[in-house]
Amino acid sequence: MKDIFFDLSVRSVKLNFMRSLLASIGIVIGVVAISSMGMLGTNMQLIVKNQLTAGINTIVITPDVVRAEPGSTSTTPTGITESQLRDIRDAAGTNTVIPIDRTNTQFSIGSVDGRGSIMGFDLTDMKNIMNVSEGSTPRGESDAIVGATIASRFNLKIGTRIKIGEPNISATRPVVRVVGILPTIGMSSSNGINTDNAIIVSDTWYSAQFGGDNVYDQVNVNLKDVSTLSAVETAIDNKVNRNKDVVRISDASSRVTSVSSTLSSLTTFILAIGSISLLVAATSIFNVMMMSVNERVQEIGILLSIGTEKGEVRRMFLYEAFILGIIGAIIGGIMSIVIGYSVVSAMIGNTAYFFLPESIIYVPAGMIIGVIVCIGSGLYPAWRASNMDPIEALRAE
Amino acid sequence: MSEVPLIRLADVTKVYNLESGDFVALDHVSLDIMENEFVAIMGPSGSGKSTMMNQLGILDVPTSGELFINGKNVAGMTNLERTHMRRDIIGYIFQKFYLIPLLSAYENVEYPLILKYKQRDMSGKAAAVLKSVGFDEDLSAHRPSQLSGGQQQRVAIARALVNDPKILLCDEPTGNLDRKTGFQIMDILTGLHKEGKTVILVTHDPKIAEYAHRTIQLEDGKVVAS
Repeated sequence: MKDIFFDLSVRSVKLNFMRSLLASIGIVIGVVAISSMGMLGTNMQLIVKNQLTAGINTIVITPDVVRAEPGSTSTTPTGITESQLRDIRDAAGTNTVIPIDRTNTQFSIGSVDGRGSIMGFDLTDMKNIMNVSEGSTPRGESDAIVGATIASRFNLKIGTRIKIGEPNISATRPVVRVVGILPTIGMSSSNGINTDNAIIVSDTWYSAQFGGDNVYDQVNVNLKDVSTLSAVETAIDNKVNRNKDVVRISDASSRVTSVSSTLSSLTTFILAIGSISLLVAATSIFNVMMMSVNERVQEIGILLSIGTEKGEVRRMFLYEAFILGIIGAIIGGIMSIVIGYSVVSAMIGNTAYFFLPESIIYVPAGMIIGVIVCIGSGLYPAWRASNMDPIEALRAE
Repeated sequence: MSEVPLIRLADVTKVYNLESGDFVALDHVSLDIMENEFVAIMGPSGSGKSTMMNQLGILDVPTSGELFINGKNVAGMTNLERTHMRRDIIGYIFQKFYLIPLLSAYENVEYPLILKYKQRDMSGKAAAVLKSVGFDEDLSAHRPSQLSGGQQQRVAIARALVNDPKILLCDEPTGNLDRKTGFQIMDILTGLHKEGKTVILVTHDPKIAEYAHRTIQLEDGKVVAS
């Protein structure tokens, strides 16, 4: 059945085509604002979250603070022992376990002195987890790779020799040769180790210089599947800390959660700004609907006097608001995709997540909100039309 | 013919509360109109003709007194019941035709059918009624603004008739027409009266009132002759 009231609304919109179109433009702008703001926020969230979760697949195990037993003179080794490492390897299953030695020390390049961290890695681990941007991973014991920050600050090149250690302690300081330079990793190191300021050497060279053979400062477990994070953590905890807490097990998931929630509030905030434009649109729709009602007072009088129900008159005007909303929403939806894509690409520079459901959902959501706002704006005018006194309305010119 | 009047006004008073004070538009009017009467309501302007029409057309309710239409007390009905009664029992014919400007001639006639049956007319009734009032079929798709006064009033009569009402309320139906067209319209109304309709006609033209079989004279809201 084709509804005659819908027909009447369509004809009224056509009759005042220019006015209706202009009112719809308000809705177009509102829909575009909501959709593209929402998509901007969501894309930002997705990108940051993805960068952060790259580091979340790493469990970091460090020695716990241990109180010396009363009366005991033996100092507890401040590190993770070889047997604890074996337990960790057992508990970690097929996940990659990387023992790391680290310390802070002074070093010199020619006559320039500096200070930074020295890390010791197993040569095979280094080959597996580090991608140098220049040179290669160490093959010999006195080969080293350096982080991006330290390399640029000290102007390190492949082949540069670095003297390690305090100059006044040892007359002949040990020397390593730079064979590779790592790219900038920043916060989001994919293996949970920030190497930007580090000189990385083989563990055997490290032990020879700094001692602590078979004792590690940190053990990283790189997970193949992030969802097994808590299961692996529990397994390690049960195995290594079975008698008392000897190691501390941590990960970056709480940091991801807090950053995500911050970004989510930011998205809500920019969405709220976008909504203001819909408020303006609502006002213009309201205005046009009131004009439509006021121009058609006599027609409303005719409709009511010959037996049209109030509800039917209301429906006719709500249809009109709905038509304006649909026109605005469709144009707005199409423009949202174009404008949203441009905004995301201009402001974030990465549109990889644009067409994901979490992001693109803002287009239909914005369209639906636009239509709802239109119908909402038409409620009062429709109510007013349906409650006119037919006698008074007929008399209007 | 039924003994119960189709329309009964019992001591009906209508008072308008104006800023300048209360205005009594109908003053204790009592009146019966039987089925298939042809009544003319006459009187000078301000005598209460329009108020009377609004009462008879259930567009308004009395301030006091009782108004029965088709055996039902108007005051006791809900708004929706009054709306349905206007749709089903009464056909309105106005001086200014009052066609719906956005609808074609045909759709204007079809409209009351849609109101009543909630669907478009498939029976051909709208077209048949339009034809019966002498409307040119070729003009069916025209909007009211494209029609002459006489054609518009024919459409209006067809619209009033299409739901087969008992009462035809005609408010100066010839007032906006030339003499010749006016008489044509009156001939149509006379024919409808012969077919059994109750026709109530408001006019101040005695020539037009002559078509009626009974004349109700109003003055200052009172019936002075009936």
